[in-house]
Amino acid sequence: MSRVEGEKVTLEISKELYERAKKWVESTSDFSSVEELIEFLLGEVLSEESGEQVYSPEEEEEIKERLRSLGYL
Amino acid sequence: MAGERVMVIGLDSAPPSLAFERFLPKMPNLSELLDGARYGPLRSCHPPITVPAWAVMATSLTPGELGMYGFRHRKPGEYREYYLVTSRNLTRPAVWDHAAREGKKALLIAFPPSYPPLKVQGWVISDFHTPSTAKNYTHPPWLRLEVERVAGGPFTHDVEFRVEDRGPLVERLFEMTSQHLRVAEHLARTKRWDLMWYVEIGLDRLHHAFWKFFDPSHPRHVPDSEFADVAERYYRLLDEGIGRLVQAAKDASILVVSDHGAKAMTGAFAINEWLADNGYLALEERPTEQTGLAKAKVDWDRTVAWGWGGYYSRIFVNLRGREPRGRVSPEDFESTLAQLVDDLRRVRVPGGGSLGVEAHRPAEIYPEVRGDAPDLMVYFGDLSWRAAGTMGHGRWFLPENDTGPDDAVHDWDGIYLIRDPEGRVEPGELGATIYDVAPTILSLMGLGIPDGLRGEPLLDVS
Repeated sequence: MSRVEGEKVTLEISKELYERAKKWVESTSDFSSVEELIEFLLGEVLSEESGEQVYSPEEEEEIKERLRSLGYL
Repeated sequence: MAGERVMVIGLDSAPPSLAFERFLPKMPNLSELLDGARYGPLRSCHPPITVPAWAVMATSLTPGELGMYGFRHRKPGEYREYYLVTSRNLTRPAVWDHAAREGKKALLIAFPPSYPPLKVQGWVISDFHTPSTAKNYTHPPWLRLEVERVAGGPFTHDVEFRVEDRGPLVERLFEMTSQHLRVAEHLARTKRWDLMWYVEIGLDRLHHAFWKFFDPSHPRHVPDSEFADVAERYYRLLDEGIGRLVQAAKDASILVVSDHGAKAMTGAFAINEWLADNGYLALEERPTEQTGLAKAKVDWDRTVAWGWGGYYSRIFVNLRGREPRGRVSPEDFESTLAQLVDDLRRVRVPGGGSLGVEAHRPAEIYPEVRGDAPDLMVYFGDLSWRAAGTMGHGRWFLPENDTGPDDAVHDWDGIYLIRDPEGRVEPGELGATIYDVAPTILSLMGLGIPDGLRGEPLLDVS
């Protein structure tokens, strides 16, 4: 079940998982809320950043240009 | 336990002449640290450049052993292609890896190179190798959220540095470093680290962009400039940050270090122009405007050697059997290099005097040569002249850098300072080398020093 309100969507997850996540969030300073944790994890799963190449071609050109203008290359 | 945590504050390119002399009276926190500290010049490595120098400092291994000779390496068998050195090239154990084996945690902030984020036991914010749009710049990945809350937005990894107009750069530089210091202080207070290592790259950018405004001996000094006090203000900003960081970890031993020094740039020596004029580099057509080697019409079949620019020059011999269109036979390799160095040593600077050529074969200065090393490493004028790799200038000596405005070059001596609350260092001024830093950190943390490190701990009582 999910509800859409404006820019936000309300999702339902099991109470047990929510309680565990809430406890974990409260024990660390990494996330300010369970919502932030879930938003972050979904973003990671759906990210296109791959582990094989360090840079995309555009990123590599950006870094080369940066290093060139800094006098390193 | 008191005295076993170590905080390293890295000031990229801080030279003794500014940090320990000229601006020290404006730096009350650094002055207080120096009182009771062991400190002095810290001799950098060959080459004295951000990459590999920080990695050398953290591993106590030579660039040859690390296989790191600068920000880029030649792709083997390619005349024009190169690859960037990143954290993936840092494969030898650093202090934080040794510490992790004893269950100790590290907090690394902007350590070069640390992009993609180094996987350490602890926390990492990656360095200025991070693309501006990248979101994967922390370890663990979710540390980014906390960093951005404290930073007030995305972490600023570097400032743009390609414009002659310095005005906007001042604001961006101060904003970036203030943000870094805010984040570093927050993480210093909230994470349970045993080793914290923060590197501020902004100081290096300050030196490159503003040196000529504060140094009357700079060849292109601009007197009475609106930027005359930028350097002093920036050093004061750093000092305030140092004070806050020290307060955030009162029990920790403190190291303030730099990877190399800095000094005024005299100009640039166009190495490929010189190689072309002296029969080493053959061109089908001589460029008439500034052209990089990648776009120049090089006649590789007739080329003996070519060079790369930067704070030092890398020379490659067009060796038969190794290069696609090699010209120099293996039996002539050594004599070719010797002749080239002899010829270079005869070069006179404008106005007379020797260029001051210091040339090294990697195998002569490193106990091991890994990775894609050049055939020859050359410094000009004790680093005062940088190397320009471009051609089309019609002369060997350029008053300015060929890749953008620049006022400063690197120097051999950076700085170090060790203040230990447990009194294990004898206070006073004494020189040390970049190789001594990692064993010193391990000793301060009460950890053993692995075999094979190239330096010695700077402690009186271990």
